[in-house]
Order: sequence, then structure tokens, then C-alpha cells
Amino acid sequence: MLLVVVLALGLIVADARFDKLAVVRSTLATGLTPVYWLGNAPTQFSDWVGSLFVNKDDLKRDNDELQARLLILERRALKYAALASENNELRRLMNSSEVLDDRVIVSEVVSVSPDPFAHELVINKGRSDGVHEGQAILDAGGLMGQVIQVSQITARVLLVSDSSHAVPVEVVRNGLRAILLGTGKANSLELVHVPDTANIREGDLLVSSGLGGRFPRGYPVAEVSRISKEPGKPFITIEATPTAKLNQSRMLLVVFQALVPDNKRSENQLEPEKGGTSAGNRLQEER
Amino acid sequence: MLSVISYPVFALSVLLALTLSIAPVPSGWLEFRPEWLALMVFYWTVRAPAQFGVFLAAALGLLLDVLESTPLGVNAMAMAVVAFLVLTVHQRLRMYPLPQQCAIVFLLLGINQMLVHVIKQSLGADNTGFGYLWPALTSAVVWPFLSLVLDNINRRLG
Repeated sequence: MLLVVVLALGLIVADARFDKLAVVRSTLATGLTPVYWLGNAPTQFSDWVGSLFVNKDDLKRDNDELQARLLILERRALKYAALASENNELRRLMNSSEVLDDRVIVSEVVSVSPDPFAHELVINKGRSDGVHEGQAILDAGGLMGQVIQVSQITARVLLVSDSSHAVPVEVVRNGLRAILLGTGKANSLELVHVPDTANIREGDLLVSSGLGGRFPRGYPVAEVSRISKEPGKPFITIEATPTAKLNQSRMLLVVFQALVPDNKRSENQLEPEKGGTSAGNRLQEER
Repeated sequence: MLSVISYPVFALSVLLALTLSIAPVPSGWLEFRPEWLALMVFYWTVRAPAQFGVFLAAALGLLLDVLESTPLGVNAMAMAVVAFLVLTVHQRLRMYPLPQQCAIVFLLLGINQMLVHVIKQSLGADNTGFGYLWPALTSAVVWPFLSLVLDNINRRLG
């Protein structure tokens, strides 16, 4: 008994303080994949049964709606291609290698954290799909969180609402930068260290600023929902509502950033032309 | 009293417990989820104290650590403590009537939860009051049914 307790204490210290056990954890997690799969099976089964009994009218209506939506989106995409090419051209003129588009893969949520006090998800893409720690996760509405742990075919995602999570953001309207913290509540985030003379209002959209190099720039994260000024305090209290549906979305996007920031910098220093041409190539591929 | 056990049943029940401890439940019910794996450790240590001991409990706890992404070893230690305490009282425990067994389940699983949360908080988790004791209570409520079902299966197959 004593032996086990000492062993366990050793494990805890090694894992929590020194991060030595990532390999062990990821191997065990790979071995536990059947458990994740089983845990998700009831939901998938009910989805499947639900999809068996759909009547023709519903399908027809869905189809019509999707067609209409597709048309609208296609029109936007046309416009977007033109804008993107123009943007890339301008960036090339300015000698910057930053590319607008990031590559994404679609993944599905297979499990949520069993701990009610941790905001985490497990998705069905892992190392074998090229996912690595620190990648940003999006849903249709905006930034969801980041990958914190990867096994062979699953990955664990920390949501922006977890109380240990922070995102560097900026206000779209005027570029004011701040840090957005999770509060442990799914529908409320907190913007910290904003001085009370700052130009910020309710309804302002906050997008990731890309500072710190972890999150890609320009994805919507939250909308300011409440601002309260307390006289005598140097900072104002700002609450924000995440734009992503943190506890509803099931299809998520894993973002692969076009270039790792360090490479980008060295590339820029060595051959300033190269970034621009690769951006041009990318664009041609898209067309 | 029952003392035969069937290993396939053991493996299956543990797999089921692991699955149940991460299966999605409606969000309001999350904090009342019984500690399935700790219940299994409790059951198998009471029924087969010779085969099922502290080490196996710790190994199962390690798996739970991976599933819950707690620091490795937290649940392992808590499970080992449960198994150890059960081993020290299992002969008396078998004689107890059901309500008293439930009380012991609540007590030991409460100790398990407290240990887990003390360690987590000392590593920087939020302090969330005594809410973490709910799983111990629901586990105690589930215990009579669980032991009945598993006993029956063991008797058939063991």
C-alpha cells in the first residue's frame, strides 16, 4: 500500500511539475480509444436511427434550403477569391509573407470531459491526421479552443471558457488589444486589464490578435456583452459572450497555420521574395 | 456468501465502468454522475480480496486519469486507498446489512473524491465547495442494484 502511494505521488509530481509523462499518457489514451468510441456510440446510434425515419418532404425542404444557401455562399466565395487575390497582391507589394488562408480539417466531438469543472472535449482526429498540440479549434461561429493533448487517433481540446484558458484578442472596430480569460462558465468570458478610459462598447466584436503565436489572427472569439465601471478601480470589468457555440457544436475545424511563425521570420530575413510567390501559388491552386 | 468470480465478467464490468464514466449525460446531471470505476473497485475487492488488490486498483485509477486528463497518478492513488480500506474491513463488510454497506460506500468513495480534489486543488484547480461529494452519494444509492446484478451474473458464470 505504501509502495503504491509513493509510486502514485511520484507519478503526480512527474506529470504535473515536469511534463515527463506525455508519451505514457498518449499511449494509454490510444489504448483507451475503444472506450471513447463506446462512450459516443449511444449518440451515434440515436442519430442513425433518427436518420432512418426522415420523410421525403423534410428531405426535399432541407435540400432546397441547402441549395439556396449554397448559391449565396458561392456568390460570396466568388467575391472572396477576388478580394483574396487583391489582398495577396497588396501584401506581396508590401513584402510580407503572411497568407490569409489557413488549411483546416473537419473533426467531430467524440466525448466531453467527465469532470464538470473542466471545459474540455475529445475530437476524433489525432496524430495520424497531423494534429499537434497548440492548434486552434474553430466551429462555424468562431474560436472554440486549442489542442492540449494528442493521442494516435484522438485529441483533447481545452475550450476558451475553461478557467485556465486565455486568448490574446483585439477589438475589430479599433484594434484595441487585451487578454480574454475563461471563467469556467460556458457562456461568459472576461476581458481583463482594460483601463477605464479605453474605447470599448457593448456589442464590440473581439477577434484573435495572433500575438503570442499560438492562435491564428483574425478569427472571431467573443462579443462584448456587459461593461461595468467601478469608480476607484483602475480597470473596468468587461464580460463577453463567446461567438462559438461551445457546448452545442459537434463538427469542429482544426486549423493548420500556413507557416510556423519562427520559419516565417527567418524566411523573411533570408529571401523576402519567396513568401510572396508561395502565396501566389497557393492562390492559383485554389482557383 | 459468494466467493467465485468470473474474469470475463470482471473485464467487461471494468470496460463498462470506464465507458460510463465518460459517456455524455445532460449537462445538469454531470455533477451527480456516480463514480462507476470506484464502485467496481469496491465491488471486486469485497468479492475477491485474494485476486483483486491495491495494485490492480491503482492501474485502473491510472486509466481513469487518462480519461479525465487529471495529472497521472491522482485517481490511481485514490483508487488504491479505496482498495486498501476495503481490504482492511472486507470481512466485516460482508456481514453488514445493505443500508450499512451503502453508508460504507458513501464513506470510502467520499474519501476517494476528497483525495482527488485535495490533490487537484493543490495543483491549481478551482475550489468548488463540497459539490464534489455528490458522486459519492449517488454511488451509494446505485450500490445495492449494482451488487445485486453483478452477484447474479457471477453466480451464473463463475
